[in-house]
Amino acid sequence: MKRTRTPGISRRSTLALMGAGAMTFAAPWVARAQAKTIKIGMPTILSGRVAQLGTSSRNAVMLEVEKVNAAGGLAGRQIEMVIRDSKGQPQEAARVARELVNTDGCELLLDGEASSGSFAVHEVARDLGVLCIHTCSEASSLTADPKQHIPNAFRCVRQGIHDSIVGGSYAAGIAKAKGLKKWATCSPDYAYGRDTTGEFTLYLKRFAPDVEIISESWPKLFQPDYTEVVTKILQAKPQALYSCLWGGDLTSYIDQANIYAMFNQMEVFAVNMADYTALTVVKNLPKGIHSGNRYIKTFPTTPENAAWGDAYRAKYNEYPTNWSWQNATAVMFLAEAAKKANSADGKKIAEVLKGLTIKCPFGADGTVTMRGDDHTLVGYAIGWGTTIPQEPYVPEVKAGDWKTIFELEAEWKKSKGYT
Amino acid sequence: MTDLEAGRTERLLPVRGGVALQRYRDVLIALVAFVVLASLPLFTGSKALLDFVIRCSAYGLFATSLNLLVGYTGLTSFGHGMFFGLGAYGFGLIMQKLAVPIPVAFIATLTITAVVAAVIGAICVRLKEIYFAFVTLAFQMLIHSTILSWASFTGGDQGLRGGIPRPAFLGIDLSNHVHLYVTSCALLVLGLLAMRQIAQSPFGYTLRMIRDNAARASFLGIDVWRAKLTVFVLAALFAAMGGMVMALFVSGAYPEFAYWTISGEGIFINMLGGVSTFLGPMVGTVLFLLLNDTVTRFTEYHGIVLGVVILFFALGLRKGLLDFVAEWAARRRETGEGR
Repeated sequence: MKRTRTPGISRRSTLALMGAGAMTFAAPWVARAQAKTIKIGMPTILSGRVAQLGTSSRNAVMLEVEKVNAAGGLAGRQIEMVIRDSKGQPQEAARVARELVNTDGCELLLDGEASSGSFAVHEVARDLGVLCIHTCSEASSLTADPKQHIPNAFRCVRQGIHDSIVGGSYAAGIAKAKGLKKWATCSPDYAYGRDTTGEFTLYLKRFAPDVEIISESWPKLFQPDYTEVVTKILQAKPQALYSCLWGGDLTSYIDQANIYAMFNQMEVFAVNMADYTALTVVKNLPKGIHSGNRYIKTFPTTPENAAWGDAYRAKYNEYPTNWSWQNATAVMFLAEAAKKANSADGKKIAEVLKGLTIKCPFGADGTVTMRGDDHTLVGYAIGWGTTIPQEPYVPEVKAGDWKTIFELEAEWKKSKGYT
Repeated sequence: MTDLEAGRTERLLPVRGGVALQRYRDVLIALVAFVVLASLPLFTGSKALLDFVIRCSAYGLFATSLNLLVGYTGLTSFGHGMFFGLGAYGFGLIMQKLAVPIPVAFIATLTITAVVAAVIGAICVRLKEIYFAFVTLAFQMLIHSTILSWASFTGGDQGLRGGIPRPAFLGIDLSNHVHLYVTSCALLVLGLLAMRQIAQSPFGYTLRMIRDNAARASFLGIDVWRAKLTVFVLAALFAAMGGMVMALFVSGAYPEFAYWTISGEGIFINMLGGVSTFLGPMVGTVLFLLLNDTVTRFTEYHGIVLGVVILFFALGLRKGLLDFVAEWAARRRETGEGR
């Protein structure tokens, strides 16, 4: 007898499909059944041009979570991280954050998004009421603007305004000592670049009033060729240059400006230079570039910081980034707050986090604080130094003074209408 | 014109009398679809599923409106995402700055979009094929750059911050998840129904004629430029509706909504679902979002997976999923008749 087979889906594949469907719908309940562990969700950027932001954040989080879990977890509950890629798109960041909470049963969020994505996740936190710690967004308005304020969101990140105050006063000191009056700026053409440059020059002029900006360049973000920018700056003949280019943009810029021997002709202040992602990639790192500290294991010069940098390197075979220390600090905050609250409940942790000071390898005095009134990180190590072409890359870093930072930050907030 | 399109045109030729019947059928299907979707929250507590449908509404409106241009008129726009972004920003800004009731902001956004689309369309629809595609892309980048650089108004690259206020209207409170869900479903169903009516109207058939042979249409006395402009503006309105749903979902508007990648996703969705059936883009949207959501759960190399899928559709099936199904059904029918 000839066997005939009717076209269409076979019984076997129908059953398989139904099984897969049932698994998909059952997954959240299965997940909730294992309530002994606490899930922490983390949307971040793991693909595309700034994937390193996400991967180095993830590495640092996992490094710290292992320690917390080994020490008993969050109030006795082992942490399970659920980390997903948002591709750097805000709508994806919002979607992923919601899914992490609603479907995967995450009780806390670490928001490893930059720029617009962090504001999208912030809105999700506002909507769902879940505790959220931002770990990558440096935009000052995220916490400084009272309109953004919600009781369940915190920011464990350095801030643009802090960097500008410290950078401005440091640069003004050098400007006065060396008589640098004619300045040029070269920064990426988007909100971070414009704001940071504006604030830097504001404080530079405040501390050194006779400084004059004679040339401004605004290359596009991720621009591959900087020839026209470099020649424009060289023609203007400034005595000093400020730039807040970062990552691949900064390294391409330096490689291209090196061809024109730019770094012999002026003092260069590049706030984002002292990060291993930039330091180790530049082909011929010029001597004497002034930079803020992003992450460098020799500043603060404590054995704890050096040990942390080495442990990270030993585990992942690369140096940590600025994003790494911020994410690690967020996990440290969670662990300490959960211990104090004796609970892993988001609301209770949020209460304790307000104004909490913890011991931390990245603190200016060995501690960092989550400021109570605007839920943002203060007291972290911040300073400026000059580069050398080999390790330790920035041998001496001059620490910024937090007292001055607080005073000028309060003034800045007032001028923006935030207080 | 491809064989597929030729065959379809024959099939779709309306019989006079049957048109009204078909319209009632469409309305009935829309009603049933809305009732089924709107009753979903009664059966499931899954917020993720509701989120999924809300996103399907936003992308579905956007992709189907793009199909009015690509599939029905033969205008391959690479810049359709600008209207998605315009809808999101227009609505968000009006709600944040003017604090008007939501329906007023909705209508105002559509009005603004219509004006902008008319101006851009008047320039673009004169151009053919690749030139049309490129100029729409250029306008999209212009709008995207404007959003980025006008930071004092639009928030620049950080987007509209602080959330979009949603005062209740007519008993509908859009800050309530279920209310937002039902409203999105209603907008989706109404939008699709309206687009279906456009596609099946004499105007819709004029568009198909322009797509197949613009010169002949012109000789028959049709003002090709005006018809193209009209459909360009109409498509922009539905794309803006999609943008508004997305703005409500994320409670903000971000420059990425007006970036070329959104237009690219629209075209990708159309390729997945198929451009020769009305519901092709909607099927494409569901497929695309399902793929996106499941693949990104498991790997950060989602680009490779999505790339392979699009290759499969482009080189393997050589058409979208619904095109394939429609053809397969037609073949089955034919062999059935021949037996």
